[in-house]
Amino acid sequence: MKFGNLLKKELRELITVQALISMIFTMVLLIIMGQIMGGAMEEGFDTSSITLCNQDDSEFTAELLEKVDSSESTDINYVELQSDDYASEMERLGIKNLVIIPQGYGESIIEKHEPAPIKFVSIFQSGGIASSISNISASDIISEIETVCTDEVLLKTYGLSDEEISLVREPMQTVEYTVNNGRIAEISASALGAIYMMQSMIAPFAIFFLLLMASQMIMTAISTEKIDKTLETLLSAPVSRMSVLGAKMLAAVITALLNALFMIVGFVFYIVGMMGSAVNEITINAGPETIDVAASEVTNMGQAMAELGLALTPMSYVLFAFQLFLTIAIGLSVSLILGAMATDVKSVQTLTIPIMVAVMIPFFITMFTDVNSMSAGFRAVVYAIPFTHTYTALTNLMNGNMLMYWIGLAYQIIFFVVCMFLAVRIFTTDKLFTMSFSSGQGKKGRKKQAEVPAE
Amino acid sequence: MGTVLEVKELSKKYPKKKEFAVDKISFSVNEGEIFALIGPNGAGKTTTIRMISTLIQATEGDAIVAGHSIIKEPDKVRENITYLPDEAGAYKTMTGDGYLNFMAGLFAKDQETLDKYVERGKAICGLGDRLNEKIGGYSRGMIRKLLLARAVMTEPKLAIMDEATSGLDVINALEIRKMIKALAKEQNMSFLLSSHNMLEIEYVSDRVGIITGGKLMVVGKIDELKERYQAANLEEVFERVVKDHEVR
Repeated sequence: MKFGNLLKKELRELITVQALISMIFTMVLLIIMGQIMGGAMEEGFDTSSITLCNQDDSEFTAELLEKVDSSESTDINYVELQSDDYASEMERLGIKNLVIIPQGYGESIIEKHEPAPIKFVSIFQSGGIASSISNISASDIISEIETVCTDEVLLKTYGLSDEEISLVREPMQTVEYTVNNGRIAEISASALGAIYMMQSMIAPFAIFFLLLMASQMIMTAISTEKIDKTLETLLSAPVSRMSVLGAKMLAAVITALLNALFMIVGFVFYIVGMMGSAVNEITINAGPETIDVAASEVTNMGQAMAELGLALTPMSYVLFAFQLFLTIAIGLSVSLILGAMATDVKSVQTLTIPIMVAVMIPFFITMFTDVNSMSAGFRAVVYAIPFTHTYTALTNLMNGNMLMYWIGLAYQIIFFVVCMFLAVRIFTTDKLFTMSFSSGQGKKGRKKQAEVPAE
Repeated sequence: MGTVLEVKELSKKYPKKKEFAVDKISFSVNEGEIFALIGPNGAGKTTTIRMISTLIQATEGDAIVAGHSIIKEPDKVRENITYLPDEAGAYKTMTGDGYLNFMAGLFAKDQETLDKYVERGKAICGLGDRLNEKIGGYSRGMIRKLLLARAVMTEPKLAIMDEATSGLDVINALEIRKMIKALAKEQNMSFLLSSHNMLEIEYVSDRVGIITGGKLMVVGKIDELKERYQAANLEEVFERVVKDHEVR
């Protein structure tokens, strides 16, 4: 009854209306961002319209553009330029991209047998993802012109049949194999890498937010009680200190999980919103036949990952969940120690920094590089941070690198036991009231703090 | 008249400090008695109170609260006391009513007792409908009244209060003093007070102990002390005791 009472109180303190609004707001914000990004990418992928200025009056170019027009995947808007000042011409026409076929293009290819330039001009748009996608899409148009140019016009001019053109176009077929831990599967390493990254992207994001939130919550919970002197009242009541401690930790875990749930739902929608439209665009443009191929490729991809031992088994999920829980417990116990040292709001903010650094360093390092590829010194430092082992756990489990996983887990268990021992010791002794860390108060402030126990 | 608190040569030495913060102090508080510890800043009052409240551990000695040792049975001690720290706050996100319910829940063994405690707390604090509001919107005086009600609603054998009326205006402070006296007299509740306010102590206490430099210099009834030190009031007694200590 008493523990339930304490837990209820802690949850009420942590899950306030404001906190819930902030969780929902973050989730909605992520969803909206995903939609905005998706819209921007869709716009970038939109290849249905391209602005083209044909300055060449040869029959070859006219035939070429007729073929490109008939491909139905491209809607060409023809424009006339009044000068060679492309910047002002594009501004006048209100366009972002422009493909120019210069005069003499056909003559150069047909008569001189020389490669001829096709100009592509685009306006730099703040360097965002959408603008770069837009440029890629416009480049695709140029390569389509190139294909039509060779397949439909040049090769047929020389009397080649469709089969012969196909052979010229694809004189060989590449079959890619990837090897992982002695297992081999028919899959491209780059395609596998992309899927692998997508799969292992959500977990570090969840770990990052879970850790930061849980740590900050427990620190605030302990320090606020200490600063407001409600802790003295609470601990002089007939409840064990371990109950108070346990209720605080459990409430922080529950709240952090709730927070993470909102965050992850928002993040998943963000990814789906961002990637969904792009995937749709690609398949639609590829035509119905390619949709079937894409679907079977996805199935093949899953099969290939299983063949390579990269698919997560139910046991892997259980092990990862356990490690995730252990990680939160470490974060909470360290925060408990730091929170007990706080004497004012400023010191709480300062004491949060070590946790943030310890969470952020492995998050970014594991996101951008492989820890094992770092120098021995750096590797030792990064692996000394207990949270690193959680970020690398999923990769180790997927790769079947169980030794590294167990070493990481063992290190985390030892780290947790030591931290929890210290936290319990602080919480069950005078240190809870005598330990202090004052921030920005100078000698005068510290002296004042030191006087308190001697009252 | 039984003894509720028996302090036996209680000492406290903080790590890295040369001097004892509290040095072998002994005193007792009887049932229904109001005992006050007075002394200058840093004399050791709060440390003594914190040891008796089982918040910090004694270096030497012991204190027996309602028959239970603070060293050996701190859990039992906490069942028989309440502690009101100086400048204590309450949970700002809770309503006054919620706070009384939460604190009563830590003491009560069943729902009936809990309801009884809460009703009592509500009546004592006199905050009326404002008990339904969040504590974050309360004035300092309102919070103090709520905390005082919390400290006595569970009918502890010993209520320990550090600067009981701090933050209260004259009228409210007077009300609280009267309430403490009434509870001691009518319900046989014992109080261990600590204060700088000599007028308050003189009005409310049965006996006082003057502590300075971690040592309990003198214990006695106020009238006896006034007579012993030939002082007109407690303030003068206090001044003479502290000066005597400094001379020594």
